[in-house]
Amino acid sequence: MKNGMVIDLDRCIGCQTCAVVCKMHNSLAPGVWWNRVFTQGTDEHQTAVGENDNLQMEFLPVSCQMCSDAACEKVCPTQASYYDQNGTVLVDYEKCIGCRYCMAACPYGVRQFNWRDPRETKAEAAHETAVALDAGLATNEAELGGVDRWSFARTQVVEAACLLGYPNPQFEGAAHHLVYTQNRPRGVVEKCTFCAQYTQNGELPACVRACPAKARSFGDLSDPTSEVSRMLASCSTVRLREDYGTEPKVYYLPPSNRKA
Amino acid sequence: MSRRTTSHVKGAQQVSSQGKILSKLGLRTLTPAKRALLALSLAMCAIGFIAWMYQLDHGLAVTGMRNSFTWGLYIAIFAFMVGAAAGGMIVSSSIYLFKLDVLKPFARIASLSAFACILGAGLMIILDLGSINHIVNILTSANFRSPLVWDICVITGYLIITALSVIFQMLPSWKRRGIFGSAVIQVWSEQKTVDFSATWSRRVALVGLPFAVLIHTVTALIFATQAAREWWHTAILPPDFIAMAVASGSALVLMVCMVASGKQRLEDHRLAFALMARMVAGALTVHFFFTAIELLMNIWTGSAETTELMHLLFVEYGPFYSSELVLPLIALMMFFNKRIVQKRAGLFIGSILVIVGAFVHRMMLLYPGFNMFPLSLNVPAAAQDAWTVPIAIGEIQPDGSVFTSFWHYLPTSVEYCVVLLPLGLTLFILLYANTAYNPKRDT
Repeated sequence: MKNGMVIDLDRCIGCQTCAVVCKMHNSLAPGVWWNRVFTQGTDEHQTAVGENDNLQMEFLPVSCQMCSDAACEKVCPTQASYYDQNGTVLVDYEKCIGCRYCMAACPYGVRQFNWRDPRETKAEAAHETAVALDAGLATNEAELGGVDRWSFARTQVVEAACLLGYPNPQFEGAAHHLVYTQNRPRGVVEKCTFCAQYTQNGELPACVRACPAKARSFGDLSDPTSEVSRMLASCSTVRLREDYGTEPKVYYLPPSNRKA
Repeated sequence: MSRRTTSHVKGAQQVSSQGKILSKLGLRTLTPAKRALLALSLAMCAIGFIAWMYQLDHGLAVTGMRNSFTWGLYIAIFAFMVGAAAGGMIVSSSIYLFKLDVLKPFARIASLSAFACILGAGLMIILDLGSINHIVNILTSANFRSPLVWDICVITGYLIITALSVIFQMLPSWKRRGIFGSAVIQVWSEQKTVDFSATWSRRVALVGLPFAVLIHTVTALIFATQAAREWWHTAILPPDFIAMAVASGSALVLMVCMVASGKQRLEDHRLAFALMARMVAGALTVHFFFTAIELLMNIWTGSAETTELMHLLFVEYGPFYSSELVLPLIALMMFFNKRIVQKRAGLFIGSILVIVGAFVHRMMLLYPGFNMFPLSLNVPAAAQDAWTVPIAIGEIQPDGSVFTSFWHYLPTSVEYCVVLLPLGLTLFILLYANTAYNPKRDT
């Protein structure tokens, strides 16, 4: 089995749903994005590029390209980055020493480092939310039952923020690699896992399920009858920066208007 | 018999208990200024250690590095110290391999300098790790395709070789001073110790020279193997690293030697110093040759990528990059000048210029390396030649932004403090190198 993904750029509407749903299902701390969507040619999202009658606005979602010859896996000194039995590149959070060599090696800029303890960042963000709610509460304190009850609720908000994500606190891949936990340890590298916690149970990654435009397809590239294999056979696809020789397993169907 | 120490230390005037300890440690020969430097080195270690504890407590967020710029001052200092270490051993080994007898009084200092620098480099890389608690995985689960693992192997080997080199070269001196519990050498005659020292120093030198070249080659390979980084991905990087290592390492050894031998003995070693200065100048010439080829190849290619690279080098980081070129160039011209290499001030200034230039060279390995994001795409409709896909910084910026296409890396005060730990340790050992210099005993 060799898991891969095909993204149809004609279907992508740049809505960022996949990026946000990824953040929630994988419990990403503020500032950390495993999946990002940009408008091609500009850093201002949803802005057309070009001139006069030659305007275009195409989107590009980029997450881990799940390379078959991954630069990150090759340079990792401790085999913390490894291929699982489906060819998916994963990070074992208990093996990563935080040298960040993989981040320097990855051509796609998808690897994220835990510069701080994610619990702290999440708690701070939740606290800010709570403070904002407090301010609103002060105006109608009596109506909601007073400050005491709210301070209890505020603790709940902070705790809940640290527990977002896959319902089980952690998920171990084959051979007891810690590849998913709601709060990654400080000082390790993390990235998209093709939602290892879901795909190993035969479910689809969160971004594939959530895409309102059905731009994403996920499946077994080694099975010729799978949806992704049929798409690859019938359409011309591109992969990002193939010149780096990384052999990604994420394919893009280029927008049709460019060919015209 | 073994407690003849004081009578053999030159200039020992009175035998106090403090004096005994100082002479045992070999510190009696230090002038007050050098003792102050010794105190400074210990203070540097203390500040560095406290800063490192702070960093362990708060995470690497206390540094200026972020997701798009993952290596900073620590790696620059690491590469710089590996270079200086390689240079030290190249000087030390050359004495035995190429019969450069004029440098012989400085063999131990060169070896000690190599040992001090490689110890500092090894420590530096450990301080850079995010999860030091997982470090055992390097031993239990090493990936031998990773250049970083190769580097760990050769640096460990180099640490052992330089330590052996220091021990073998110091044996006669230790026997005379009766320190380091030299139980074995105490039963040997003085002549036997000297012979043993000479034989084994030569043997270690034979292994030391190729190993010195190897450590810096492998350190360069950490960068040069990365196909996605335009600025690093060139076969000229390892040989250029070696050229820079010989230059900066020899310059460092030259400075330490001049400090150790003091002003009054400059005359005795005029030839030795001039020879070291010429080694620096020769290495710099090779470095500039490589640099010129690299720049020419990039400018001539003129692709979107190389154009961006040249923009980063000469515009974005123009002043910084110019100093990398100009400072060693001045040193090069100084060291090829017959009159300047006769003067203490000239040698000092030249050496400092080379060392500063080598450090800027290391920093400039990182700036254009990281700020040219590898994921750039050609978007015909957009005005730019190559559009760079922004990277998530890893934190929300004060202005609310999360993604960036350029990271203005500046080391934080914590980073500056942390690097004091390996630098302080190296300085401490280098000061000890003073005691390894004894012109009356060396022939």
